[in-house]
Amino acid sequence: MNESDQKPIIILEDVCKFFGDFQALRNINFQVKKGERVVVCGPSGSGKSTMIRCINRLEEHDSGRIFVDGRELTNAVKDIDAVRREIGMVFQSFNLFPHLTVINNLMLALKLVRKAKKSEAREIAMRFLERVHIPEQADKWPSQLSGGQQQRVAIARALCMNPEVMLFDEPTSALDPEMISEVLDVMTDLANEGMTMIVITHEMGFARSIADSIVFMDYGEIVESNPPEEFFQNPRFDRTKLFLEQIL
Amino acid sequence: MSDLIGWSDDYFWGAMVVLKIFAISLVMAVAFGLIGATAKLSKSRIANKIASAYTIVFRGVPELLVILIFYYGSAITLTSIGRAFYPQTQFVDIAPFWAGAFAIALIVGSYATETFRGAFLGVDPGIVEAARALGLSNLHTFFYVRVPQMWRLALPSFGNHMLSLMKDTALISIIGLEEILYVAEMATAVTLKPFTMYMIVALIYLCITTVITLVMMALEKHSNRHLVGAR
Amino acid sequence: MTFDIYLIFNSIPKMLAGIGVTLQLLFLSSFLGLVLGIIILLMRISGRWYLSFPTFVYIYFFRGTPILVQIFVIYHGLPQFEAIRDSVFWPILREPFGCAILALTLNSGAYVSEILRGGYLGVDKGLHEAGKALGLSTPHRFIYVTTPIAVRLAIPAYSNDFISMLKATSLASTITLLDMTGAARTIVAKTFAPYEIFIAAAIIYLVMTWFIQRGFGLFERRMSRYIKQWGVI
Repeated sequence: MNESDQKPIIILEDVCKFFGDFQALRNINFQVKKGERVVVCGPSGSGKSTMIRCINRLEEHDSGRIFVDGRELTNAVKDIDAVRREIGMVFQSFNLFPHLTVINNLMLALKLVRKAKKSEAREIAMRFLERVHIPEQADKWPSQLSGGQQQRVAIARALCMNPEVMLFDEPTSALDPEMISEVLDVMTDLANEGMTMIVITHEMGFARSIADSIVFMDYGEIVESNPPEEFFQNPRFDRTKLFLEQIL
Repeated sequence: MSDLIGWSDDYFWGAMVVLKIFAISLVMAVAFGLIGATAKLSKSRIANKIASAYTIVFRGVPELLVILIFYYGSAITLTSIGRAFYPQTQFVDIAPFWAGAFAIALIVGSYATETFRGAFLGVDPGIVEAARALGLSNLHTFFYVRVPQMWRLALPSFGNHMLSLMKDTALISIIGLEEILYVAEMATAVTLKPFTMYMIVALIYLCITTVITLVMMALEKHSNRHLVGAR
Repeated sequence: MTFDIYLIFNSIPKMLAGIGVTLQLLFLSSFLGLVLGIIILLMRISGRWYLSFPTFVYIYFFRGTPILVQIFVIYHGLPQFEAIRDSVFWPILREPFGCAILALTLNSGAYVSEILRGGYLGVDKGLHEAGKALGLSTPHRFIYVTTPIAVRLAIPAYSNDFISMLKATSLASTITLLDMTGAARTIVAKTFAPYEIFIAAAIIYLVMTWFIQRGFGLFERRMSRYIKQWGVI
């Protein structure tokens, strides 16, 4: 467990989001402190993905306020890119750039956004590839790698930008079972090193071992938020109990 | 046969003109296509309408007519402007080379707009999100992620556009460009062998289009090289 | 420089005089080109090399060279040969109209045969097999099973080609024919008003294109009556 006495690095205040008539987020109030590891779970359609995508503005919230590291998310373009630099995101479907080799996938943002020189970028990229245990795949095409390897590359790619926060949107849901653990291991290492993480996942074992708090969402609302022991032992609401029964 | 050897120089230089105009028009056509496709895919209604008008007009009007409008139209406009400043001006025009290149670039650009539009729609939206999530600006995302992916999908159709562009260059001879058809005309007056002279023109075009086709095949292979047996 | 709207209206009748030639060129060449295209296709899929090889050469030549060059080779070039001048075809080949039709037909045949081939290849193999299983002979299978489906598949590409043919007819003006473009050029030479006249001509072509597209759209819808989800589009 990490101590975290500072002001929260991520604040969501009364956030609502609509897709047409459908309300995906209802008055979300959510905070994450630096160094905190939060796991978000809930049934499909509960708004988990939408919520974290609002944090790096891949979705735009309709009302309420969102603050990232003190900066409020608004429509000003400069702000958005600056904010996104500090937030890393890992997608369910990896989303590696298919036309670039693994190492170039990592180097692209370093060169364009961090304005790193080629040699510098390459060094940083190789370091992170080693951290995710696949340095030998550097010059391969993404399509030549297994799902687990691709997801680890995706994690390395996000880490190369040295983000303050890492967002994970169901990182292992698209993987064959035997590859899930290699990705979870990397994520556990990351958590142990003190990275601030918000992870959407159904992997409850993982949640139990690294999370500081577990958030349960349903129908666009945050129903419960508790440390793992409390969450699994004493779920306060019936909806949570129902979900846990289905999942475990 | 001896006639041919005398004219081979002229045919060569005529062919160089054709290749030059092809290269310049090609660059312009790609630019028009990218702009048009971006306009069609943008959220601005005005941009959509203008781009639609562009594709409808330039795909529905005969190429020859477009070239004639550009060349003679611009000549009249420039001559009027010239007369306003220097009353003795007889005739001012944009060189047939540039008027013609611009005209056929607009025409092929309108076909390219449709092709590029379809190809942009085929780009995996997930990787565009990944690029945005990494903090890449709109411009960077466009050139480093969207275009490379779009290009692979557009290549087969774009190859056909390139062939059309090459064949359209022949029309520019009508407004006086001195390229291989012009050489054939002159050569016919001297040798009185029109069939031979014009067939040479045909064969020169055939060679160029063959080379273009082979280059396109190689490019297609190259652009798909990252799709090595996916696991 | 003034923009004379009245000039446009006054010239439209004169240009519409050219429409007759344009339409003759369009329909005659398209029809003959379709017939030629069918013959070429049959030769191509015959499986016999002495039939299919010539078609490769033919298609390669006519798709690899500009139509304008093809027109010039026929109109300016053929008279070079005495054999042509003495032949029974000379009355046709001497006239610009005949040469234009010949050139456009040959060109069209090459493209149309490829389009029909695309439609032919698009017919599900399973349907061929079902026909065989039912005991239908090869020609019967071809006429009653393959052709209707191949035609429907080929319509979009063919309609584009038909519009291309409309645009190609304008090239006939380069060998003195007074189609719409030819008529327009003559008027411009007299009035020095390229914008008004040529733009008027362009508008007429666009209107024709629009009609052709609607026509083919209706035709395609009729041929697709049996497809359930057509209405969704």
